[in-house]
Amino acid sequence: MFKLLKEIFRTGEATVKYPFAPLHVEKDFRGKPEHDPEQCIACAACTVACPPNAIAMATDTDAGTRTWSIDYGRCIFCARCEEVCPTDAIRLSTDFELAVTTKADLTRQAVFRLARCEACDEPFAAAKEVAYVQDLIDKTAPSANEAARRRRSVATCPACKRARDVATVAALRFDRQPEETR
Amino acid sequence: MNVMSKIRVGATHLAALKAALPHAVLDEAWQTDTQLTITVKLNQLPEAVAYLYYQREGWLSVVVGNDERKLNGSFGLYYVLSMEGEEKGYVVVHAAVPEGKEEFPSVTPKVPACVWGEREVRDMFGLKPIGLPDERRLVLPDDWPADLHPLRKDAMDYRLRPDPVGDDETYTFVNDSKQETTVIPLGPLHITSDEPGHFRLFVDGEDIIDADYRMFYVHRGMEKIAETRMGYDEVTFLADRVCGICGYAHSVAYTNSVENALGIVVPQRAQAIRTILLETERLHSHLLNLGLACHFVGFDTGFMQFFRVREKSMTLAEMLTGSRKTYAINLIGGVRRDILGEQRTRTLQLIGELRVEVGRLVEMLLSTANVDGRVKGVGILDPQIARDYSPVGPLVRGSGHKRDTRVLHPFAGYGLVDLGINVGEGCDVLSRTLVRVAEFFDSLSIIEQALENTPAGPILTEDFTYQPYKFALGFTEAPRGEDIHWSMTGDNQKLWRWRCRASTYANWPVLRYMLRGNTVSDAPLIVASIDPCYSCTDRVTVVDVKKATQKTVPYKEMERYCRDRTDSPLK
Repeated sequence: MFKLLKEIFRTGEATVKYPFAPLHVEKDFRGKPEHDPEQCIACAACTVACPPNAIAMATDTDAGTRTWSIDYGRCIFCARCEEVCPTDAIRLSTDFELAVTTKADLTRQAVFRLARCEACDEPFAAAKEVAYVQDLIDKTAPSANEAARRRRSVATCPACKRARDVATVAALRFDRQPEETR
Repeated sequence: MNVMSKIRVGATHLAALKAALPHAVLDEAWQTDTQLTITVKLNQLPEAVAYLYYQREGWLSVVVGNDERKLNGSFGLYYVLSMEGEEKGYVVVHAAVPEGKEEFPSVTPKVPACVWGEREVRDMFGLKPIGLPDERRLVLPDDWPADLHPLRKDAMDYRLRPDPVGDDETYTFVNDSKQETTVIPLGPLHITSDEPGHFRLFVDGEDIIDADYRMFYVHRGMEKIAETRMGYDEVTFLADRVCGICGYAHSVAYTNSVENALGIVVPQRAQAIRTILLETERLHSHLLNLGLACHFVGFDTGFMQFFRVREKSMTLAEMLTGSRKTYAINLIGGVRRDILGEQRTRTLQLIGELRVEVGRLVEMLLSTANVDGRVKGVGILDPQIARDYSPVGPLVRGSGHKRDTRVLHPFAGYGLVDLGINVGEGCDVLSRTLVRVAEFFDSLSIIEQALENTPAGPILTEDFTYQPYKFALGFTEAPRGEDIHWSMTGDNQKLWRWRCRASTYANWPVLRYMLRGNTVSDAPLIVASIDPCYSCTDRVTVVDVKKATQKTVPYKEMERYCRDRTDSPLK
């Protein structure tokens, strides 16, 4: 009994003033994911990686938009999105106070414009994603000609690319027969 | 770590089985060095399992059912045995149940430990165990359609909720007592808890003559979701959520099972980090149970003190993983966060503080006058009952059996540290509590050792490819005992089958024997001593069979009676 009393007096006050004073969390705490639409290129890497499907993408070809959204109600704070993001557009903050008064407030959205295909003028991919890849090409292509060719290829939708590839292959003259390659 | 080499652990067991039961063995295959799957003839399945269990010191880990009709036209049954004699490893006895004749000879009459596994296989796959003494449902509720077996591949979409087929409760509780008894139902559920259970105590006056219980009121269908909705690499995060207390142990068990199946060599540093985090989880879990032990014997000041100190282990987890619970640190092939110099220093500091403070609290608890009287000789688990039912963790160690997965089947980084097995000989609540106390201090030492000798190098390997239809076991020693996962990959970046067995699943069947012969006021204490993930028994109904009257007592009242032991609610 004496030991117990000693322990109680040694401890003093164990409780903290939260919620009337801020609660300390560790600096690497995984809290609310914060999305930066400026950085985001709507590539959907996070959407694919998200285990509970909290992050979603919806494409509206009529409006020419792609909507990125996150539902904090579904989020499990695993930080897979942060890990796979190529542009550092989503980061987990240390904020854990997520209570809202209406459920809709748990969802955040960002709308991105779709790029139109060079060939058929149909929307096919987020404009920022196309621009991002073209920028990468400019910095890495071996020659200016090659860069231009690759840029064109990126700005073309998959259907047109296939059609063009078929046309290109058909136009090729095969000098070598398959047997000769053996 | 567990990759194929020339070593073939289990060969002597196989040879002995072949000698004992000639012509029974059809096929054998090693999944890893220490995991052997033996295919036997279906009609000799009980003999094969019983032989390995009793003659070769096998303990039943889990019974796995698998719908393999698309692969080979049959259902697979896998009886996983942890071999703990001279040659230690896992031996899985496999038998195929052909489509169209969906029955198999029950192993339970020979090995009682199989009872829950076989009842579950019958519920989930519709395979009929012939000769199973207990024909009640285990997992499915009373109002579930009779011919709908959820884990059959062609049965149902995971989102489907079939219409209830009736309103009546048809479950019968078993009472083996020879005399007239009064029935006390405890439970069944509180809607916010994850594991509500319904207990029926059959009492004579204050003495428990027999007990029965029912679980699975809030079955979450995780195995079905993992097989249908999630990718195999995402299931690690689902496994983190199997349990709110020892989820990381499940996450490690799951990743290990896939790593074993695909032959992935996990970097040593990742293994050491997994060990550190598993022990961190044990710290907080054991402190929680010690706190609850105080609470149930009416020593609430001790409960408060243990929970105060426990906060340090939660801080430790938060610092190392970024979250107090659901660490989300595993990926197939390693871990996602390294332990850096600064974190290492703070970990060692927190470990030092925990050692001193918990030492003081334990001394205080054991010197408190009424504790000994409440826990000594209460809730005896007979070592032979334990042998028959294969319970795990501090429960079985408290009854003198040397069972600890960390030592018997070293996984993760446990091969790198020095560790013994703590056993108690008292077989009672006190013995189990003392085992937990000793393990707490062992965990502190393991963390220190692992931090001292952390191997250098990468923490994650991505050097592997997904292969279809590979299966293997993964296992960990969670705070409550061995967690075992059996995973089989599919052909679509998903799992074909994921069988996840939590430690408490193996511990429930023996509870009945532990309750017998004790008084009603000790029941919550005994249930708490197996440290069930969450023993939420919401209210108590008292049925007096002699007078055919019924009386409902709130659970709080029952718990109060356990603490105060005055003013019996049964009067």
